[in-house]
Amino acid sequence: MAELWSLPITELSERLRSGRTSPVELLDAYLDRIDRHDPALAAFVHINAAARAAAEEAHAAIREGGWKGPLHGIPIAVKDNYLTADMPTRAGSEVPLDLPQEDGAAVARLRAAGAVFIGKTRMHEFAWGMETPPARNPHDADRVPGGSSGGSGVAVAAGFAAAALGSDTGGSIRIPASLCGCVGLKPTFGLIGRSGIVPHSWSLDHAGPLAASVADAALVAAVMAGSDRDDPGSARRAADGWSGALGAGVQGMTVGVCRTHFFEGLDAEVEASIEAAIRGLAAAGARVVEFEVPELSAALGAIFAVELASSATYHLPRLRDGSVARFAPDVRLLVEMGRLVSAVDYLQAERYRRHLGQRFAAIFRDVDAVVSPTMPLTAWRVGQREVTIGGRSESVLAVSWRLTHPWNLLGAPAISVPFGVDRAKLPIGVQVAAAPWNEKAMLRVATGIEACGGGPAARCALPENRP
Amino acid sequence: MTPDPTDLLKLLGLHLPPDRLEDALRAFEEIRAEIEKLHALDLADLHPAVVFRPIEAEKRDG
Repeated sequence: MAELWSLPITELSERLRSGRTSPVELLDAYLDRIDRHDPALAAFVHINAAARAAAEEAHAAIREGGWKGPLHGIPIAVKDNYLTADMPTRAGSEVPLDLPQEDGAAVARLRAAGAVFIGKTRMHEFAWGMETPPARNPHDADRVPGGSSGGSGVAVAAGFAAAALGSDTGGSIRIPASLCGCVGLKPTFGLIGRSGIVPHSWSLDHAGPLAASVADAALVAAVMAGSDRDDPGSARRAADGWSGALGAGVQGMTVGVCRTHFFEGLDAEVEASIEAAIRGLAAAGARVVEFEVPELSAALGAIFAVELASSATYHLPRLRDGSVARFAPDVRLLVEMGRLVSAVDYLQAERYRRHLGQRFAAIFRDVDAVVSPTMPLTAWRVGQREVTIGGRSESVLAVSWRLTHPWNLLGAPAISVPFGVDRAKLPIGVQVAAAPWNEKAMLRVATGIEACGGGPAARCALPENRP
Repeated sequence: MTPDPTDLLKLLGLHLPPDRLEDALRAFEEIRAEIEKLHALDLADLHPAVVFRPIEAEKRDG
């Protein structure tokens, strides 16, 4: 029989509802796995002492006929930048922030749906990086899990939780999902309220889940979605009709492939895997068309201008009182660099975002979803600073978010789905994006990719001789 | 002493210690080049993506 920690939410929820498995038994399965393997992987910064009481409460409620829905009794890990009523929040920093212990909008929705919060996951400090030290990749502990939601990627891939929450400003949900071999979903900007999430860049930050399958990610994201009066970016819309898209197939859909930007400078094994996924979609009945967006060459400057300026603005008190000196050196430098971005740079970047949005709106008139690699490479070694792809040496940080950040500039939904591994058995992710508010098209293609690859990715097998 | 009106650091409010400012300026060089690509775009009369929205008042009940 499959271990409980290895099962998708879609199967677990049926077990919990029917009483075959209790929420307490399920929580214990994850806690046992965390106890045995997290000392080597460092995914968690806090285990929730209140989780057992929540699981017992869910058990009693379900037994008495009070099943709340598919997340009732399901253990979910929470990135350390989401405020929670029953756990402290540090946003990955040693600098005291005096953040309140209260649920933000998305966490409150999940709690109301009966989710059990198992603990807080490690993140790159203030969501400003792609490595999440000292967390390690469960597929190879000498490699990084990605970031900034690195602990959440590890937690899902290693079977430490049924799903985990992440935040994504330039790729921070999809990057760890790609490197760790799980699904990471960033919905349209404004769909999930961000009150109670420590800000990084107000107009780029998105909330969303990491999970073991597209269906699980859609399920969690749909519960997180909805109006948030304390988030000025909230669109006050719900996630309607997503479940119908999951099994709809790709027959008759038009899938776009943008060779400029999204297929430049790729590792050869990553490229081969993505081409195989595209062939799979075509074989399943999708029409594949190619298009070009030369203006994407300015996207990096735009995201840097907005993200650097926003981060420096958020951290002005810490720049002023000098506590920025206690940040990790890489994060401190980024925050300090934000002071060098001018208002003209920032506003030009915001004008460019509108221009890019208009270009893609025209493309999405004829294209249902856009498919690309999530990242140009697989997980790099801890401490590695440069990578050579196609004979060209680049910093891993510059490479890592190149294919994900355009969808943050556009506020469009995007998801990373595992598809194959390289010769070192490291996961490769396919990214599927769609027009804003067209998550259904994105989910149809994403489940189509799972179908091409033989179903959701298995949780990572870990050596049992680990402490 | 009269403040120097051409002191860019003061004018821009860059109160970083000299060693930190030098590190930041060096690291920013490549990013500056990327931002310059934005400046070169002709975006005509396009408005920025983020615009001001007035906050509506909510009437008290009763």
